[in-house]
Amino acid sequence: MGPLIPNGIISFEWSSIIAIVIGIFFGFILEASGFSSSRKLAGVFYGYDFAVLKVFFTAAIVSLIGLLYMDYLGYVDMSSLYVHPTYLWGAIIGGVIMGIGFVAGGFCPGTSLSAVAIGKIDAIANVIGIMVGIFIFSELYTFFEPIYNGYFQGNITLVDSLGINPYWFVFVLTVFAVIMFAVSDMIRKRVKKVFY
Amino acid sequence: MVNRKLVKFLSFRYIILASILIVLAGGLVLLPKYEKHEGISPENLLANAISPERYISTDELADRIINQDPSLLLVDVRDENSFKKYTLPGAVNIPLEQVLEEDSEPYMDQNSYDVVLFSNDNFHADQAWILCSRLGFENLHVLKGGLNQWFNTIINPKEPSENMASNEFEKYNFRKAASMYFGVAYPEKVVRKPVVKKYVLEKPKTTAPKKVVPVKKKKKMPVEGGC
Repeated sequence: MGPLIPNGIISFEWSSIIAIVIGIFFGFILEASGFSSSRKLAGVFYGYDFAVLKVFFTAAIVSLIGLLYMDYLGYVDMSSLYVHPTYLWGAIIGGVIMGIGFVAGGFCPGTSLSAVAIGKIDAIANVIGIMVGIFIFSELYTFFEPIYNGYFQGNITLVDSLGINPYWFVFVLTVFAVIMFAVSDMIRKRVKKVFY
Repeated sequence: MVNRKLVKFLSFRYIILASILIVLAGGLVLLPKYEKHEGISPENLLANAISPERYISTDELADRIINQDPSLLLVDVRDENSFKKYTLPGAVNIPLEQVLEEDSEPYMDQNSYDVVLFSNDNFHADQAWILCSRLGFENLHVLKGGLNQWFNTIINPKEPSENMASNEFEKYNFRKAASMYFGVAYPEKVVRKPVVKKYVLEKPKTTAPKKVVPVKKKKKMPVEGGC
């Protein structure tokens, strides 16, 4: 069966509509689980709330395990899935900037939009800041281009570059994540309770 | 009472969820491994195998070689010694056991040429065809009957008997012409022409058709001598 759109089970034109539907549900769940609060998001860095870490790690592990099972059973062809290309230094520098913005503003790009939807003023300021950043980047694109397009590593995955068995990798990652969840819970209990 | 039990159960909910994840991930490690099917699906391979496009006839191949078709790529899958002894003009030698090696991949896995595989019969070429088609390589063809058929039809075509259909004669003429292109000399061609020339030449002593003369000069000498 494979991925539905590349294998023509769902025609290509539907992809935008499906993306909009998934986006609406994603935004709803972000807001419903409290991710439109900058205090909750920033809690990861101050150690009083690890919901973000748990949610995103759980999502990654569930989809990894699910995909590997479906690949094993022949429902999805892993080799025809899209792998995001790696531009090494661009990703590192961008990640650092994004992290600083995350701590300072208390939103990541997706949650800031869902917070704008419920009318948070700090989120509106955050989105304006994102727009200004995009504008500066586009204006100085020729200056940034060597980093933006350089250090290209191809569509590699961690499994390819480390040359390890994906099943063992997922198992170790799952155990690691569960330990991390337990540790983060212990930290949360020791840190003074913050009300928000 | 029921409510309290549920509360007690739910107090372990994170441990239960975590253990479900670990069990599932451990299941992936413990699953029996099997060799993944590479390349195209068996149904597609079967469809390609029974498709008439798989084979190319010797006549068609000769026609394309003579017309110097630029999209034609001939691949000889026999061993190197046989390749050195005889091969088709412009052929590349990739012995059957090297068909899937890295060096031969640019020849086999491409979509700009029509690759024609051939061997003495079509047996080894068919094997190479299956190996490559299974990996999804395209535009591969097999010379029907291989070099043996090539010899029997193009190099040494069988003369049709008188009571055969006219298209048999046309085919024979084409094959004969093709074989002359590939360097076969026909004794009757060589002898007859000078004889005809001789009769023409005898009446008007000095005539124009000099263009033909230099080619047949050597053969002309003994004929004149016989005269």
